[in-house]
Amino acid sequence: MRRSTPRWLRVAAVGLTVGSLVVACSGRSTTGGSGGEVTLTINFWGDFGLQDLKTKYEAEHTNVKIALNSGEYNAQHEDLQKKLIAGSGAPDIAAVDEGFIVQFRSQADKFVNLLDKGAGKYETAYLPWKWKQSLSADGATQIGLGTDVGGLAMCYRTDLFSAAGLPTARDQVSALWPTWDKFLEVGQGYTAETGKKFIDNATNLFNPILGQQQVGFFDADEQLQMAGGPKVAFDYAVRAADVGISANLTSFQADWDKGFTSGAFAVLPCPAWMLGHIQNTAPGTRGQWDIATVPGGGGSWGGSFLTVPKQGRNVDEAYRFVEWLIQPEQQIEVFKTVGNLPSQPALYADPAIAEFTNEFFNAAPVGQIFPRMAEGLTPQYLGRKNGPTRVAVENVINRVQNGTLASGAAWAEAIKEAEKAGR
Amino acid sequence: MRYVPYLLIAPFFLLFLVFGLFPMIFNGVVALRHWRLDDPELTGWAGTENFRRLLTDGDFGNALYNTFGIFLLSTVPQLLLALVIASMLNRRLRAQTWWRVGALLPYITPITASTLVFNVFFSRDFGMANWALGLLGIGTETPIDWRADKLHSWIAIATMVNWKWIGYNALLYLAAMQSIPRDVYEASALDGAGPWRQLWRITVPMIRPVVIFTVVLSTIGGLQLFTEPMLFDLNAQTARGGAGGEWQTVAQLVYKVGWKDLNLGYAAAMSWALFLIILVVAALNTLLTNRISGGRR
Repeated sequence: MRRSTPRWLRVAAVGLTVGSLVVACSGRSTTGGSGGEVTLTINFWGDFGLQDLKTKYEAEHTNVKIALNSGEYNAQHEDLQKKLIAGSGAPDIAAVDEGFIVQFRSQADKFVNLLDKGAGKYETAYLPWKWKQSLSADGATQIGLGTDVGGLAMCYRTDLFSAAGLPTARDQVSALWPTWDKFLEVGQGYTAETGKKFIDNATNLFNPILGQQQVGFFDADEQLQMAGGPKVAFDYAVRAADVGISANLTSFQADWDKGFTSGAFAVLPCPAWMLGHIQNTAPGTRGQWDIATVPGGGGSWGGSFLTVPKQGRNVDEAYRFVEWLIQPEQQIEVFKTVGNLPSQPALYADPAIAEFTNEFFNAAPVGQIFPRMAEGLTPQYLGRKNGPTRVAVENVINRVQNGTLASGAAWAEAIKEAEKAGR
Repeated sequence: MRYVPYLLIAPFFLLFLVFGLFPMIFNGVVALRHWRLDDPELTGWAGTENFRRLLTDGDFGNALYNTFGIFLLSTVPQLLLALVIASMLNRRLRAQTWWRVGALLPYITPITASTLVFNVFFSRDFGMANWALGLLGIGTETPIDWRADKLHSWIAIATMVNWKWIGYNALLYLAAMQSIPRDVYEASALDGAGPWRQLWRITVPMIRPVVIFTVVLSTIGGLQLFTEPMLFDLNAQTARGGAGGEWQTVAQLVYKVGWKDLNLGYAAAMSWALFLIILVVAALNTLLTNRISGGRR
């Protein structure tokens, strides 16, 4: 069979047609609505406890519709970054986690300065470090209002603990692990006794321990500081993998969620926001959980801000909604439904919080546990590249856990990956 | 009247110019520039810097290695099995249409849907793949972690690719086989050729153009593999292809560098490099197939 076109040309033609690799970027348009009606989009991840509040706000403001858009944690932040540079497409309100807030406050010109809208009057209500975290370096622009703070504790399964012959009362359990070394010992004992894994994943030890350190991945001059805090946290995480107490389940994935119901692990470091996830994921374990203190003292893991990107069409309406959301009444409501701890210390004394016990967690006095942790906290500077660096180091820990990386070589690998991610 | 044919084929070429050629050329321009979404200050011409960086980038090397590994594990069995299935379908069978339609079913299943199912299939703790292997006595002590090392993850992904494309290629082969006259087979049978020999000595040479076509198509598809490796990750959002990039393909790396690391210039350079690699490999494969199936050129 002969054709007049040379074969190479035909191959090239096919290559040209099919071969152009199109990297599609997903765009979403926000509509302003008609007839004076305003639709506010709000992007966040996990559960911010907004479902009921949305209904309530819409009932009070009949011209406002609120579109809740919950996505994956890293993806939401990356998406916001892309839209800021592209100049359009950002939501009216974007939630930003503390792990990414420094990256965004260094682009303060792309956000509405909430001080211009009169947010300055709330400064005294906030934990001072929380207020400063979203304040631009020159102090002139406040890009976000804080919602929750991490406040660490340790959730544990009372039924699994008693089956392993461990105490179940929360004070006794807290006394089991004054330090992380003791914590690992208890874990080894549990695994030896029951043959089951103690923790869900070593990365979920790494993050809270890192949160307790003076200096995290970066110092205030944006220099990578792996030898300090990260090394301490990394060593514990790798040790946990080495002694075989980790179930090696990737957080927020199907098998992890299944682990909550199947008892694949017995403890889980719990920032306040984790409570909502446990309740939603494993409603059947109601009453089997309890909350003890975390080894090693105060620390934070996560905590968010609500920002209003400048490119939004309804910045005034958006600010009004944000302002409404951070009022004590709503903050307390969120705390009660999903457990997110407000970042306004005055509320901790409010009986609605101070006396609140969580029935799901065996009536644990969460209104006492979490505020104590949040107040005894030294805030850590989280660099601009904190997000990607964290993902890179978590991946190294995961490789140790699945046996493809020797723990002896892991630290060198972690440094290499962190340097690459921070570039 | 002379211009009517040109007029009629013009829509395709106009669309191709707008959505095919222009993006590709623009991509080439971007590849020669600095363009970082997280650092708007860093713009301007980079010259060949992005391409030079590729040569020493361990991630790119790793991705290229993975892509070719998965490519070999998927394309070769895929086309061989498709040939065998096609020659089976070419015989007289009961419920012939049923078999032929059945072969095409995987192809019409949306790729994301099937990948999500395979994701559960290859799950470490509760997966059917491990359960089936367990019946054979493999991995009963420690179940295979399909996402932990290169070989296992490659096999898993190649399985998904094969599953989807075998039937499609088989039907292409079948269509070509239908045009082979029956008497050729009858004559060869008289000369004592078995079915296997008939397949290699008669069928394959006689459907050579289609074989070459499928080889080129699967080369292009295989080297651009994206959806399967992307969704095979437990947290697809990281676009890492495993904790250590065990199965990260080039297309996936392009996505990660562009939209995760927000380094568009470098990502564009990568996709251009991939484009050139595909051209070379497709050309080589065509030559090779041509030789094997008895062509002279």
